[in-house]
Amino acid sequence: MSESSTGNPEVYQQVVAVIAKVLGTAQDAIKPESNFVNDLGADSLDRVTLVMALEDTFKQQIPEEDLEQLTTVNSTVAYIEKHFLAKSQP
Amino acid sequence: MSRRVVITGLGAFTSIGTTVEEFWRGCLNGSTAVADIPSKWNDFYHYNSRVWSPLPPPANNGNIVNDIERTKLDMAAVLAMETSAEALQNAGVPPSLVDVKRNAYTLANVDPTRTGIFVGTGVGGMNSLLSNASYHMLAQQQPRLQQLAKLLASPEQHEQARQIVERIASDILIPFRANPFVVSMIMPNAVSSNIAIKFGIHGPALTCCSACSSGTVAIGNAFQALRSGNVDIAITGGVEYLSDDYGMIFRGFDVARTLAAHGKQPFSNDQLNRPFDRDRSGFLFSQGGCGIMVLEELEHARKRNANIICEIAAYSETCDGYNIMMMQPNGEQITRMLAQLLQSAGCEGHDVDYVNAHGTGTLLNDTTEAEIIERVFGKKALVNSTKSLLGHTIGASGALGAIVSALAIRHNTTHVCKNLENPVRDLNFVRSVGSHSIRTAVTQSFAFGGHNAALLLKAAA
Repeated sequence: MSESSTGNPEVYQQVVAVIAKVLGTAQDAIKPESNFVNDLGADSLDRVTLVMALEDTFKQQIPEEDLEQLTTVNSTVAYIEKHFLAKSQP
Repeated sequence: MSRRVVITGLGAFTSIGTTVEEFWRGCLNGSTAVADIPSKWNDFYHYNSRVWSPLPPPANNGNIVNDIERTKLDMAAVLAMETSAEALQNAGVPPSLVDVKRNAYTLANVDPTRTGIFVGTGVGGMNSLLSNASYHMLAQQQPRLQQLAKLLASPEQHEQARQIVERIASDILIPFRANPFVVSMIMPNAVSSNIAIKFGIHGPALTCCSACSSGTVAIGNAFQALRSGNVDIAITGGVEYLSDDYGMIFRGFDVARTLAAHGKQPFSNDQLNRPFDRDRSGFLFSQGGCGIMVLEELEHARKRNANIICEIAAYSETCDGYNIMMMQPNGEQITRMLAQLLQSAGCEGHDVDYVNAHGTGTLLNDTTEAEIIERVFGKKALVNSTKSLLGHTIGASGALGAIVSALAIRHNTTHVCKNLENPVRDLNFVRSVGSHSIRTAVTQSFAFGGHNAALLLKAAA
């Protein structure tokens, strides 16, 4: 199993599962540093689909202007920890 | 010799059954699904009609359309693809997965360049249009109104104003997001093109859009393409999915006084939908449904030992050219269409054993249609309306009527014309499910816009 370099392993696993589903990639081929476009072969529509799938999984919206921050597995996990988890804490 | 066209597979998704087998069983049991309209709709308008026929949630069993794809598709396209998969499986042409990433399938032993798609729909992906338009227009307004309500909270006069502002803010229903795939979701042709993408089909892929006769027109176009030699096999039928948060579509039909409503008679909700009855008041608004059939050129079907359900022998269509919402009262163009249909099939009106009528249950249509049926087919032919069970599934209705007609020929029986107690005319309406000799059937559809279409089906010789 790959290790997340950015903390929360639960979020990391959820993100990997979503990426695998959207891109039709095996979960063990997805590494923390994998870049969606360069390493996993995503096109621009795949990236938009990925954002929707993340929104559905975490039940929160990701503004369109934040799309550029989500380029790798690690950057996506970091984004979710920062924007979603921080928000839901009291 | 001209090419003959046969039906070799069926699929259905309706309010009374989510597979063709369940649907047919529901038909023979006289099942219907009538419920109160969603309570939220009542916040926006006082409707004359209070009932509708909702669909069960799609099961998503076969993974033909997965969760990720569903985020980018209107439900009309999802139903069209899943019901096509059922019809293909039923035809002995099972789809097999060829591309995991695209979740794309191929059909065994079928030439995709000689396969066509012809699907009818009334509104295509309009639900996605409504949802995304709501988001676009209202997403910024609700928080502003909520903020305003807080600001108004202090002095005396403001209390009433605050309540009004709060009511407006709470009435605004905002979808979860603006879908970035909105354009490809709302276009009506998405129902056909998504079937082509899903099953790797490269022949013509047409979408027929003629309101309530869309399904019949689509099957007619498939029939003509098969006869002319353009294709050897076709996936055809109709689909509709009508759902909006505010009840705006329902209101449109309600304002036109076309919907079944409580009146003088103390009918229960289940008794309100009564095509061809003297106490009818309109049609039962359905959330939609889907009916798909696989049509094949006879020799093509024989070569692969297909299970032939019955033959389609003729198709005819005319347009009233009279009124956008009202049927021509003398039924001149419908009568002309049926004369053409019978001539094309080489038979007479009295040769027809069963008429699957349009039978909406609206005041004007049923009287005119019953007169035409007696004039053209006489009093012997069995008559029913599948809308007496399902309500009006708009673009799917013609295809579901054609499926019922095919199964009626196959099984020599058909469903009752539900809730019919005092018929508008003395025709041979189906009152009980029994054994009937049904060799020849006509299914007919009429539509807003004046589009009339009919198919003649025969037992396979």
